[in-house]
Amino acid sequence: MSKSLGKRVPLPSKEASLFKELLTLYETRQIKKGLKTADLILKKFPEHGETLCMKGLVLTHMKDRREEGLELVKKGVRLDLTSHICWHVFGLVQKADKNYEEALKSYTQALRFDKDNMNLLRDSAQLQTHLRLFDTLVDTRHTILILRPNQRQNWVGLAVAHRLAGHPEEARKVMEHYQRSLKNVPDYDIEHSETLLFYISILVELGEFSEALSVLDSNSRSRAIVDRTAILETRAHILTKQNAPEAEEAWRALIEHNADSYETYRGYFESLGILFNEPNPEAVTKLEEFAVQNPRATAPRRLQLNVASEEKFVELAKIYIERGLVKGVPSLFADVKSLYADATKRDAIERIAEDLREQYAPSSKASDIEPTTYLWTLYFLAQHYSSQSQPDKSLALLNIAIEHTPTLPELHLARARALKRAGDFIGAARAANEARLLDGQDRFLNTKCGKYLLRAGMTKEAETIFGLFTKKDALSPAADLEDMQSLLFLLESAAAYRVSGRPNMALKRYIAVKRAFDDFEDDQFDFHGYNLRKFTISIYLKLLKWEDQLRANPAYISAAIEASKIFVEVSDDPSIVTALTSNSQLTDAEKKAKKKAKKAASKVQEEKKAPAANDKELEPAPPKDEDPDGFKLLASTDALEQAANLLMPLKTLAPNNIDVWIAIYDVAIRRKKLLQAVGALNHAAALDPEYSELHVRLVDLKQRGM
Amino acid sequence: MNVRLAKVDDLMGMQACNLQNLPENYMMKFWMYHAMTWPQISFVAEDHKGRIVGYVLAKIDEPAEDDKTQEIHGHVNSISVLRSYRRLGLAKKLMLLSQEAMASIYKASYVSLHVRKSNKAAIALYRDTLGFEVAKVEKKYYGDGEDALSMRLALK
Repeated sequence: MSKSLGKRVPLPSKEASLFKELLTLYETRQIKKGLKTADLILKKFPEHGETLCMKGLVLTHMKDRREEGLELVKKGVRLDLTSHICWHVFGLVQKADKNYEEALKSYTQALRFDKDNMNLLRDSAQLQTHLRLFDTLVDTRHTILILRPNQRQNWVGLAVAHRLAGHPEEARKVMEHYQRSLKNVPDYDIEHSETLLFYISILVELGEFSEALSVLDSNSRSRAIVDRTAILETRAHILTKQNAPEAEEAWRALIEHNADSYETYRGYFESLGILFNEPNPEAVTKLEEFAVQNPRATAPRRLQLNVASEEKFVELAKIYIERGLVKGVPSLFADVKSLYADATKRDAIERIAEDLREQYAPSSKASDIEPTTYLWTLYFLAQHYSSQSQPDKSLALLNIAIEHTPTLPELHLARARALKRAGDFIGAARAANEARLLDGQDRFLNTKCGKYLLRAGMTKEAETIFGLFTKKDALSPAADLEDMQSLLFLLESAAAYRVSGRPNMALKRYIAVKRAFDDFEDDQFDFHGYNLRKFTISIYLKLLKWEDQLRANPAYISAAIEASKIFVEVSDDPSIVTALTSNSQLTDAEKKAKKKAKKAASKVQEEKKAPAANDKELEPAPPKDEDPDGFKLLASTDALEQAANLLMPLKTLAPNNIDVWIAIYDVAIRRKKLLQAVGALNHAAALDPEYSELHVRLVDLKQRGM
Repeated sequence: MNVRLAKVDDLMGMQACNLQNLPENYMMKFWMYHAMTWPQISFVAEDHKGRIVGYVLAKIDEPAEDDKTQEIHGHVNSISVLRSYRRLGLAKKLMLLSQEAMASIYKASYVSLHVRKSNKAAIALYRDTLGFEVAKVEKKYYGDGEDALSMRLALK
């Protein structure tokens, strides 16, 4: 070690220029040439650390040589611990492996030996943002700004860092300094416009409302801010915070711009201090005005139904429902169903629809009624009764409707839903398939049919149906849906496998959901640099916030809990795995079929790889599925650790979900983490002391003698 | 339905809506990229449960600086309304909001889109309701070999 720390001997000029060439070759992604050049240098100087690192880096981009490359990089670093190039390369390789903590350490080392290197600083800032190390991020952005004060993005970068670190007042100072130094902003510059909106948002955060408003107003007058909707919205929000009477006018302007945004109406009524979530005649009247002014908008008419009550509600609901039925709006029921939380509204809607059914019936005297209006009325009522747990009534109506018009897919879908609710999953799948057959070009119907097949436990059939729309060159329909991050498919498929006694496949799907979320998290990485260059700061800050809450998503929560249950089951009874694998012993015919499928699959793989032969193509081909049945996963030796990792983020992101705490207990108690286990039960008890699953765990705890 | 600007929180819902409805699908980073680059021109429709039932995903094409023949224009990458939420005019509302934002914020001179030659319903919406015209046919544009109509609508 001490030897390697000795002074680095510089390469002779021939090799030095070869090394320079090597750097360029790598930067332009000429991988094979780069490798040759590195070998030329190493022939004479086999111990040259920087060249070894570069060769290793090049190898990591070549198929199947990643490991070898990694070893070379490590060796190179050991041979030259004071080279910023070696550490930089090490950091790059770690970053490519998504090992961001270690990558940042390497970058920090590299910066010790080349403290003003802009690439190193920029990459470090990106890593620090990704890891949410905001205090050190401020330092890095500060250094970058001092080195390159002429680049606009460096000012904004520092302000963003301050904002993230929770120092809005510092962020404000930086932005003000920046604006004073600005010269020659081109007219109508969207980047400048976005920057100003960011500055205003800092002022709002600081509670400097009048200042924020005056900056907003003067810059909208001068057209420095070009986003009119953003201007209107920011104005309305600031004025509301100030309790200013002009707020009403601001919200009105927004409604005029888009009369179908619910938030805008909410903002409007809040600014007037008019309650908007309960019966309120004043709100009904105001909404009427908006409805008259904006005849094409449906929002004010629909929102009226939320705030109207008694006779007024009946009057308005009748008009609303009639209009929808005459127009044949398929979503009418889904649209009004949220009113059912109020039982009197629900009953009123039922009466209205039943009256209309009589009025529209073919036997009635009214002659100017389109037959389809009657059809949509039956459809509406069928959905209504299905939602009210009256499947017989619902199905009877649908039968009349289908007899009337057998070719409307919506009717068959409604039938499928009613049957599913009534517990007839096979019948539901059949009905959904009938809907699908009526319009084979429509993926929506296809997805529904596939989903209902899964609900009926028909995993194979479902995959065939999904396969009608998935990419033909994918390994399988399921693989395509997984690649495209279809959480709906993954969760439904997992549940189907779980019910049909194939926890291996269920687990495989749940882990695929986990991976999708890992990817969503990772996707933000490039934007840490990108958005600063584009000056789209406001949306970027929202992205970071969203990413921090990402796993609070119900799809993740459900996958994490279900997967951890399977892990727990297998750890309690490892014989599950052997029983399943021996069950899957195939007959000769099945083996043949499987072999054939495998061959076809590997052919697809080969074809996919083909373009990668090109020297410039750096991305290695996606690895083929090494665990197609999920057995390896199910037999994981670290099952409980994996389960604990899945549940970890939910402690903070879903603390009010009692099943999360139950799952955490189940895993912790088996990992002998007594404190964690008891803590989880305390959380659960605080949420619902009567929860039956909780009592099972309390007994379990006692039985374990703890 | 609630019709409004797309937010970061909507991206997963937009992706799910697209997967359920259309054969051309994209990974999350693609959706993210559009939101991060042009945050003002993509819109969504959501139901009372907050589920995304329709969206328009748009971008701006800026011609290279040395290319004087091209103008700044908007492009609709994907637009979709769940089958069960049709006949509410949602697609039209989404499109009009997007077009207005493209024109007023980016000074886009026209908006373009691609549509499958066989998708008669969509072509009718673009041509008859929104005023688009066919600019050219792009042979074998889609993965399955189908031709695309490249349609355009002037915004100035």
